[in-house]
Amino acid sequence: MKSRYVVTGLAVVALLSACGVIRGDDEGSKGGGAVATGVTSEPCPKAVDKNKGCIYLGTISDLTQGPFAALAVPITDAQKAFWKRVNTAGGIGGRYEVDVETYVRDNKYNPETHRQVYNEIKDKVLGLAQTLGSPTTAAILDDLKANSVVSAPASWTSAWEFEDVIVETGSNYCIEAMNSVDYAMEAYKPKSVMAVHLAGDYGADAAAGAKIAAERNKLEFTAVETPPGATEQGRAITEITKNKPDLVILTTGPADAAAIIGQSAAAGYKGRFIGTGPTWNPALLKSPAAPALKALYEQSAPGKPYGSDTPGHKAMRDALPGVTPNDGYTSGWAWSYPLKAALDKMVASGDVSRKGLLAAVKTLSTVDYEGMLPAEAGNFSGDANAATFRQTLINKVDESAPTGVAIVKDFFTGPTAQGYTMDGPCFNKLS
Amino acid sequence: MSERETPTKERLPPESRALDIPTGRSRRPRGRPLLYTAYNQDMALLDTRAKKVWTAVLVLAAFGLSVVLADRSLEVLAGAYVLAIGAIGLNIVTGYAGQVSLGHAFFVAIGAYTGAALSAPPGGRTIGLGLAEIWIWLPVAGLAAALAGVLVAPLATRLRGLYLAVVTLGLVFLGEHVFKEWDALTGGPGVGRSAAVPQLFGVRLDQDGPLGTREQLLYLLMLTALVLFALAARNLARSRIGRAFMAIRDRDIAAEVMGVPLTRYKVLAFGISSFYAGCAGALLYSITGFVEPGSFSLLLSVQFIAMVLIGGVATVSGAIAGALFISLLQPLTRSLPALVPFVSGDTTVTPNVFQVETVLYGLLIILFLVFEPRGLFGIWIRVRAYWKAWPFSY
Amino acid sequence: MKGVLESVIRGLGNGSVYALLALGFVIIYKATRVISFAQPSLMLAGAVAVSYLAEVTGFYSAVLLAALLIAGVALAIERIAIRPMVGRPVFVVAIITLGIDVVVRVVVNAFIGRDVRQMGDPWGFTQVSLGPLVVQTRWLAMLAVTAVLVGLLFAFFRFTRYGLAMRAAAFDQETALAQGVSVGMVFALSWGFAGFLAAIAGMFVGTGQGVEQLTWIIALKALPAIIVGGLDSLGGAVVGGLAIGVVESLFQSYQGELAPWLGQNFAVVTPYVVMLVVLLVRPYGLFGTREVERV
Repeated sequence: MKSRYVVTGLAVVALLSACGVIRGDDEGSKGGGAVATGVTSEPCPKAVDKNKGCIYLGTISDLTQGPFAALAVPITDAQKAFWKRVNTAGGIGGRYEVDVETYVRDNKYNPETHRQVYNEIKDKVLGLAQTLGSPTTAAILDDLKANSVVSAPASWTSAWEFEDVIVETGSNYCIEAMNSVDYAMEAYKPKSVMAVHLAGDYGADAAAGAKIAAERNKLEFTAVETPPGATEQGRAITEITKNKPDLVILTTGPADAAAIIGQSAAAGYKGRFIGTGPTWNPALLKSPAAPALKALYEQSAPGKPYGSDTPGHKAMRDALPGVTPNDGYTSGWAWSYPLKAALDKMVASGDVSRKGLLAAVKTLSTVDYEGMLPAEAGNFSGDANAATFRQTLINKVDESAPTGVAIVKDFFTGPTAQGYTMDGPCFNKLS
Repeated sequence: MSERETPTKERLPPESRALDIPTGRSRRPRGRPLLYTAYNQDMALLDTRAKKVWTAVLVLAAFGLSVVLADRSLEVLAGAYVLAIGAIGLNIVTGYAGQVSLGHAFFVAIGAYTGAALSAPPGGRTIGLGLAEIWIWLPVAGLAAALAGVLVAPLATRLRGLYLAVVTLGLVFLGEHVFKEWDALTGGPGVGRSAAVPQLFGVRLDQDGPLGTREQLLYLLMLTALVLFALAARNLARSRIGRAFMAIRDRDIAAEVMGVPLTRYKVLAFGISSFYAGCAGALLYSITGFVEPGSFSLLLSVQFIAMVLIGGVATVSGAIAGALFISLLQPLTRSLPALVPFVSGDTTVTPNVFQVETVLYGLLIILFLVFEPRGLFGIWIRVRAYWKAWPFSY
Repeated sequence: MKGVLESVIRGLGNGSVYALLALGFVIIYKATRVISFAQPSLMLAGAVAVSYLAEVTGFYSAVLLAALLIAGVALAIERIAIRPMVGRPVFVVAIITLGIDVVVRVVVNAFIGRDVRQMGDPWGFTQVSLGPLVVQTRWLAMLAVTAVLVGLLFAFFRFTRYGLAMRAAAFDQETALAQGVSVGMVFALSWGFAGFLAAIAGMFVGTGQGVEQLTWIIALKALPAIIVGGLDSLGGAVVGGLAIGVVESLFQSYQGELAPWLGQNFAVVTPYVVMLVVLLVRPYGLFGTREVERV
């Protein structure tokens, strides 16, 4: 506590005022043609039609260093392309265009950073086109709720079913795993199931679903929690080869999955693997685990793969020329439909504001996904249990498909998921 | 790690105390700020008038900022102040006592979870005792961490230098494992739990109220806490304990020969440092209201070390400056690429702004330490020396 | 018993990766008294370089080229960021290496992109029989290559002029300088070696399952390995790495059965537990030199 503070203190003040952070400035977006927070009557910076106003949506994603950077980049990219297409097709209600490029921030998958960057952009956006990660989104959830900031998440955890401001698309991991077990009951008649999973909102969510389905089908169930990292899978492999379950439900990253499947198969394991969506990466087909994957692995998924033949998929492929196919694009694109539907409804209702958007979301009972998902996947009205979408599909490895997987069983709801009451996030129910 | 504040004044020879020099608050001759006529002037908390005045001015200015700055800046600064408390704590064990610890994140975690468990409403998914008053959970969080520090300290008495650093690093990994597995306390990885609830005499400080917005309230809370902890640390450093720490740092065997009990003081250093870390942990996450076990990784420990090194080793003000530097570096690097037009904002292009931003963070730390290894404190010393000799400085 | 031995061989395979990384840490430490936290990023860079070069030149030459390339990168880092810091407090330098790690990793991540990159190695997940034991070929390859590299390294330090210079500088920098040893060259060489070894280790980590952006974390396991072996002992680094690999592998196989109360995935932290146990008995690791203390 000495006078050397003058320098530091002055520097800090100078820095902050240079960034325009002096009190009172933060409501600045209200002036200059602002209609509501994050909505202006001025055109977007990259407007297609200069006569329309602009709706700003923020994106907070894991863009450089975090564990999901490899997925986050295509998701973010696809969402840019999605909204560009919306703008070219006449925008929202013929009056607004949507900008998702001005407020993109990197959260490094750190909750504190996520919150900081959210605070930086929250007074300038109407909603969030993407908020990636469960712990990160949890760090801003109170603020999202308090200010009615509608946000599209970039994960499928079952916790989102219980939040009004979060507009999720596709079934959660929990339902996905239930359907996988039910599918296996028909296809392979297993007697025992093992869930090999990461801890937390992703892995434990799916493992809980597998457990619920196993109990209903009277199967022997074991859960093996495994750490992330391909070289850390020794224990999971030992458990699989020692106990020889008929079916393994995998919820890990792609490299982990390759290590587990490849090494278990090499050690003589002959059962089936069904992995959740994020266990797959097309590059695994080039790995030494490829023969084992082709023989033993299927992928459950909340939506159809990249190469599918629907108007939505086609539009996506046209909007993203020259990219290496990756289902990150598919997810990012599909996640944007409910937000578009809600924006359309908001503008039509005349109440262009955060409250108006949230009200519009609450009245959505179907969303037109242009065939990518059934329209009832976009149900956000009613209570969580009624609104939970319960259809997933199963893919098999197919080298000729753009992302290496092709559908074996189209959208279906298994009996377990059908009869299950969503009364809280699944990941709490594992132990 | 043997740098100290360079002595700027002549210390009185010890025998002068025995002479008939008045003790107590005697006046100093006007215009001779560095002439001490009593031992306790030399040992005062703030030993020159300039320090007293400027400290008061800065503290007042910092309080004043709460009505000047926008809420989001206040939140960033509030976080920086709490980190500063943690950095001061690390500086006590690493800077003053010379025991390099990479385990600070572990103690921060213990504080964070103690505070969270005490203050959360009971009956939830995770442990909660419903004691939301800050004056209950803050000291307990600090004490819990201090206890852990005291338990770890015996290892420290056996180890030195990098061995100690890596062992304390192991502590972080062990702690991370425990916190990830202990769902009932932490909510588990990726799920997390609510953090400590800052409530003071029935007033919730994390909600907008008649006294100000939540950011203003939290800012004032964190600033007050920082001032208290900083004063306490500075007071500690000038005491018998602080001098014992420095003796151990400079040469532990020599200190022992001089009659400083090594084990006792090393345990004490770890205990006090962990107390600071625990308090910082409990306060830090009450800003976001959410705490996840993945936060307490090696990265957090490293950030604290960086704060201490960048600020200046073995100075309280250096630790605070370092914490501000590191906390404000991220917002700064986020705004910098916007000024460079040729960097693409498109995430598919390399290099894009996000990569530049992350690289800048690393580069700025490297450059800073390459050009000023003594940290912000080193810069200050040079600036001060320049003006002292002005206009004859060279 | 068969299971235990198979588990031990897996541990020796993974352990030899830790040993290579640990050697890099120790070589740098001996020359500069600094622990280089840039090793993880160099390891990752090595693996990624192999994955790109293997498509062009074939696997074996790709490994050699990548290792030389990463050694070159390490030399450049040393010259630019570390050499100016000679004589500075070691922890300041350690933090600088952390900054380097951040920078290098962002660059490497850009090369990894969104897919898992494959090494193109000939081993894959194939298995061979050693008498009654069935083990993966790559474990044996790791062990063999590490043995050869360690042999070469020890021969270098024992029999060559530069090896002697490095030993001299490690023993006493100033005296070595006075005897005409170029300490700067010793620094550069040590970083070069560390980069070379890290690249080979990275290649091995990537065999089978490939490398992704998160692979760097594995390199941190070499830290307990060097402490177990003793910070300034090359032999200790090898022993420490192998020991940690074996203990970890055994815990992966048997902890769930024998000691479930330790919690799932206790194997992840076993390197640190081994380290703590060893240090309680020997504060300078198994083979570290006890510091001579003078007042």
